[in-house]
Amino acid sequence: MDTVTPGDEQPFPGLGDAPVDAIVLRMLLGAQLRRLREAAGITPEQAGEAIRGSRSKISRMETGRVSFKERDVLDLLTFYGVNDEQTRSGLASLARQSGRPDWWAKYGDVLPGWFEPYLGLESVATTIRSFDSQFVHSLFQTEDYARAVIRLGHQADSAVEIEDRVALRLKRQDLLTRQDPPRIWSVMDESVLRRPVGGPDVMRAQLHHLIEVAGRPRATIQVVPFARSGHAGESGSFAIMRFGERGLPDVVYIEHLTSAIYLEQRPDVEHYLGVMDRLSGQALAPIATRRLIEHVASET
Amino acid sequence: MTTEQPVHDEPGIPGGARSMPFDISVAHQARVYDYMLGGKDNYAADRAAAQAWLTIDPGLAVSCRANRAFLGRVVRYLVAEAGIRQFLDIGTGIPTAGNTHEIAQAIAPDSRVVYVDYDPVVLAHARALLTSTETGATLYIDADLRDPGTIVRQAGELLDFTRPVAVTLLAILHAIPDSDDPHMLVARLLDPLPSGSYLAISHAGSDLMGDALDSLEDIVTQMVEIQPGFRTRQGVGRFFTGMDLVEPGLVRVEEWRPDPAADGAGTSKIWCAVGRKL
Repeated sequence: MDTVTPGDEQPFPGLGDAPVDAIVLRMLLGAQLRRLREAAGITPEQAGEAIRGSRSKISRMETGRVSFKERDVLDLLTFYGVNDEQTRSGLASLARQSGRPDWWAKYGDVLPGWFEPYLGLESVATTIRSFDSQFVHSLFQTEDYARAVIRLGHQADSAVEIEDRVALRLKRQDLLTRQDPPRIWSVMDESVLRRPVGGPDVMRAQLHHLIEVAGRPRATIQVVPFARSGHAGESGSFAIMRFGERGLPDVVYIEHLTSAIYLEQRPDVEHYLGVMDRLSGQALAPIATRRLIEHVASET
Repeated sequence: MTTEQPVHDEPGIPGGARSMPFDISVAHQARVYDYMLGGKDNYAADRAAAQAWLTIDPGLAVSCRANRAFLGRVVRYLVAEAGIRQFLDIGTGIPTAGNTHEIAQAIAPDSRVVYVDYDPVVLAHARALLTSTETGATLYIDADLRDPGTIVRQAGELLDFTRPVAVTLLAILHAIPDSDDPHMLVARLLDPLPSGSYLAISHAGSDLMGDALDSLEDIVTQMVEIQPGFRTRQGVGRFFTGMDLVEPGLVRVEEWRPDPAADGAGTSKIWCAVGRKL
């Protein structure tokens, strides 16, 4: 057994030496807490009461959506009957480490609370599948296209706020060029290509950017042509994020104008996974997709 | 260049002629296999079928992993030692680490791989993700093994049948009952291929299942809704009639040219062999 120094523990062998995002630590800690709670036969309501909170606080903790107070973690472990000192100190250390600020903290003014968990999930996902019915996926947007989309949605914003939002969106794209980028599998409706957001010049550049992106090894782009849309039923945009650890469930993300839904119960996730598989099956193969994008670009 | 212009880039639109209906309420063996390999592209019905099997045969995970490892070894053998550059991989399954074209193209970048499957979930994944290196090429065909004419005709768009081809049928022939005459189907796949082509098969062995055979057949019939065709070692051997078997012959998958570092964890219930067409 290696010597453990305070603040430098690795309670989860397999995380390796690489610096791990706070969100991953929160998700892992949350998954552990859920496992221990369930093993003790305790409901989320009971657990919530034990730390002067609610059922939904427990749910947010167990899914890694909130940062943890070390005291809450220790109180929960006591309530769950977990007295093993090594487990307790390991999880408490994880709670401390997971409290580090996230990279997007400095965009707080233009970052609604409901969107923050998405950024965390996106940044650690190993696969992101998305279906987009209106706009090009954020990770594949050019700066000008992003600015045009953001202006459409935030007409009351000041120029400074708009630019902050654009900067945040572009910053998210850093994950495309990191050492071990996620697979991004983007399926979009043909109308996304045909809607000249920002005008023809911006759109043409965006279409050429899509063609360039589609050539990258970990990116897949498919378009559902008009002739085949609608087969999978009414579906607005949604994304499914997958994580490397086997114990972490897929998370479905559905965004609304002033809020978002995160689904991770297996029956819900499977419903969306089924729709996504069906949409992907209906969409043009990647090569035919590229030809269609080239064709639309030539007409734009 | 063929890489850029596959003629069948739009096969298998759900509701089309060849594709199975998109129905995730019934288990499918590709997704059961994905589940047993630790994948997340499986549905409740697939996991239920896997769990039912596991209650009778707890070694299913060992068998699945051994079969996947066999895929890696057999493709490496065929490329590195037998000089094969063309593959017809029937029963592709859901893409995971170490797909046929990745293994082959890592050794010989000009390797060409045609994938064939008929599960619509496999279709969605394989068509989008099984893309190729610049010099090699992959093609995905949506077709049923019971229709070898379609497979051969479409595969001919990418593969050159005047040069040797390796046909891999891993963990798929046991989904074809005797009433569909799988030995004839395999013969028809090999027919157009030149001498020096290869056939690789892995196949659940009825004579490896002991008392569990009847129960396992019931599970497949009821939960996967297909008629299983588990076969004995001899029945699997018949697929290679008239071929030379590569050493060590017809053995369990974990015994076929094992890696020196293989952990030998457990014993599978899957026969395999690799044959060379004379």
